[in-house]
Amino acid sequence: MYSVIIVPPACALPDGQIRIGSGERLTFGRQEAPDSLTITHEGVPRVAGEIAAQGTFWLLSNHSENQTYVVENPEGAGEHIKVAPGRVDAPVPFEFSRVVLPAAGDLLTFDVWAPRHVVRSVARRGLPGTLTAPAFTLDRTKRYFAVLAALCEPRLRGEPHAPLPAVEQLVERLRPAWPTVSRSAVYWNIDYLALKLRLRPGPETAEPGRRVNGKKETLVSLALRFDLVHEDDLVVLAPAGSELCR
Amino acid sequence: MPVSGAPHAVAVPWGYRVGRWEVREPIASGAFATVYAAKLVGAAEPDLPRRAALKFLPTGTRTPRQLRHLRELAEREVEFLGRLRSPRLIRMYDTLVVDDPEHPELDGATVLVLERAEGSLDAVPAPDEPGPLLAQICEGLAQLHRAGWVHGDLKPANVLLMKDGSVRLADFGMAAEMEGTHAYAPAFATPDYTPPELLWPEVDERGTRVRPSADVWAFGVLAHVVLTGSHPLPGGTTEARSDAATRYARGVAELRLSPELPDAWREIVEACLSRTHAGRIGTETLLRRVAAAAGVPRSRGPRAWRRHPLVAAVLATVTLATAGLSAATVAAHRSATSPDGTPVYAALPTGSAPVGVDGEAVFRYHRCPVDTLCFFSEYNGNGLMCMWTDDDPDWQSGTHTCPWAATAPVRSVLNNISGDRGLGGVAYYRGTHFVPAGADRNRTAQRTGCTGVNQMGNLAGTYAPLSHKLVSSCSYQPSLWGVLSSLW
Repeated sequence: MYSVIIVPPACALPDGQIRIGSGERLTFGRQEAPDSLTITHEGVPRVAGEIAAQGTFWLLSNHSENQTYVVENPEGAGEHIKVAPGRVDAPVPFEFSRVVLPAAGDLLTFDVWAPRHVVRSVARRGLPGTLTAPAFTLDRTKRYFAVLAALCEPRLRGEPHAPLPAVEQLVERLRPAWPTVSRSAVYWNIDYLALKLRLRPGPETAEPGRRVNGKKETLVSLALRFDLVHEDDLVVLAPAGSELCR
Repeated sequence: MPVSGAPHAVAVPWGYRVGRWEVREPIASGAFATVYAAKLVGAAEPDLPRRAALKFLPTGTRTPRQLRHLRELAEREVEFLGRLRSPRLIRMYDTLVVDDPEHPELDGATVLVLERAEGSLDAVPAPDEPGPLLAQICEGLAQLHRAGWVHGDLKPANVLLMKDGSVRLADFGMAAEMEGTHAYAPAFATPDYTPPELLWPEVDERGTRVRPSADVWAFGVLAHVVLTGSHPLPGGTTEARSDAATRYARGVAELRLSPELPDAWREIVEACLSRTHAGRIGTETLLRRVAAAAGVPRSRGPRAWRRHPLVAAVLATVTLATAGLSAATVAAHRSATSPDGTPVYAALPTGSAPVGVDGEAVFRYHRCPVDTLCFFSEYNGNGLMCMWTDDDPDWQSGTHTCPWAATAPVRSVLNNISGDRGLGGVAYYRGTHFVPAGADRNRTAQRTGCTGVNQMGNLAGTYAPLSHKLVSSCSYQPSLWGVLSSLW
């Protein structure tokens, strides 16, 4: 039962991803070793650092002697944290992170995802007792939520049997709020949603096109059945700051 | 997301009328529903209690929290309570839908009229001796599992304590009927009571796959909490405890139960909190071990409460016809009282309210202790009770007597004798020393009646037996004497 996924550089395929569970650690560096992420670059120390999954988040240790590592939130408009050399177990609060290692003039990166981040409703109602909580928690500020909202939009607008938007249509729909959106970004977010919502993998035999379609269909029916997206949520598709510019 | 500022999921004003009920104070509020105390307005009705608990689920089309999954949860709970009834599950008297356009936030809400409890296990102090309480909770789970359902959200807040100290399981919005080895539950959970394999489960359009072993895990957590006041997994927050559960399940952490846990319970809790669902103790074995640890006499196999109102109706018809000679009625009686392999809880046809001989009285068979035979002066286990653990050749003399039966009829019976003893039923007679007397002699079986182990039912109520004996089977071999005397 993993809680953190490490995505090696230039590796979008799930095969290359490394999943670790809470309490497990993974070292990264130039050295090739079992249970480690190898970064083949002369400017990287043999053991450059360590990632430890801790509950639903993760910790970063910087084992280099003089390089500061930066962890960026790719969706955070420049939001980042710095981890100084020698720092052990610095907590990283982002669901998506890009770890940036300076190495002899180059900037090397790899990604870390923490899909088990929990987001709960703040409406805690009176009277004591443990709360029964939905099993899915989506962060409404993330891009994957905008993609899910765009996917569900036709049906949320009261057409229960409307065909699902094609990826090109999704790109058009998302562009006002997300100017840099691309087809691959949409595909990436659909895949991430399937991971985040733990969709049971469909039959691998289906052709790739049908697989994406089946995934979209499953995501939408799940989201609508469990009210993960409401009609009110479609505001995430509106251009950012549109109220101010009017 | 619409966030309501109200303290309750559904706010209903004091004095609000729904059907025959007047709403009083709120009793409990969960994530989706609010439960209010209510009293019956107007004349008393035999089918309805004076006090009830009304559970409001905001299922209306114009409620602020108009949510699809709420309708699904409400439908699930209504279906469950309409189909299953047993002494350890909260009783539902009726369901209503609010029709009140003046209150759009309430209009269309589903209202379940439920048995009124004193409080839930997390709101009232647990009794000094929690063993019997845990045994009753376990009985409730066993009743559910035998019926082919999974509760899906067992926790102290969903265990209700009644005025007489007995326990009822409640809140069946997550309950799911088994399809083969697992059921599909809506994807909601209380993480502190969720087994590790369901903390991050795979889902598909139908929801999460759950097994009865999920309830067994929840029972283990609940028992630990009740017995020691602390959670079995370490951590100060739900998230930390969930994390500890997943580490434990991966085998990288050991289970360290509280030293306060009595030894007899330690093994039980450990068996419930097995790392994988396959390693967890089965419900029937759990029930036996909990009964032993709780100091309740050992019992084995599907116990009583396998109550099917239709069976009771058949039984009543048959016993009403005691004076008749119809072999068909006798055959019906046999099939009604001998174990025939049907599920413990037969499903009731949807929409047909279970109607007992006397309308809809409260069932009080639960008073009958384990491994005991009980006769009651009123229908459905109500009224005075006489109980035995063995044969009695004469109810009105000897060391053990049943004084009320000397002047009043027996109206219901529960054969709660343990299946361990290999006794298939109890035969009872109008004469002493197991001798047929009066109308018994007109019956082919030459006895007043016979009730199989784990069976209960109402009797026609015109007589009281004078003796009974435990028999290996309620089947009988018609003797020549029997046939001849029945023709008399």
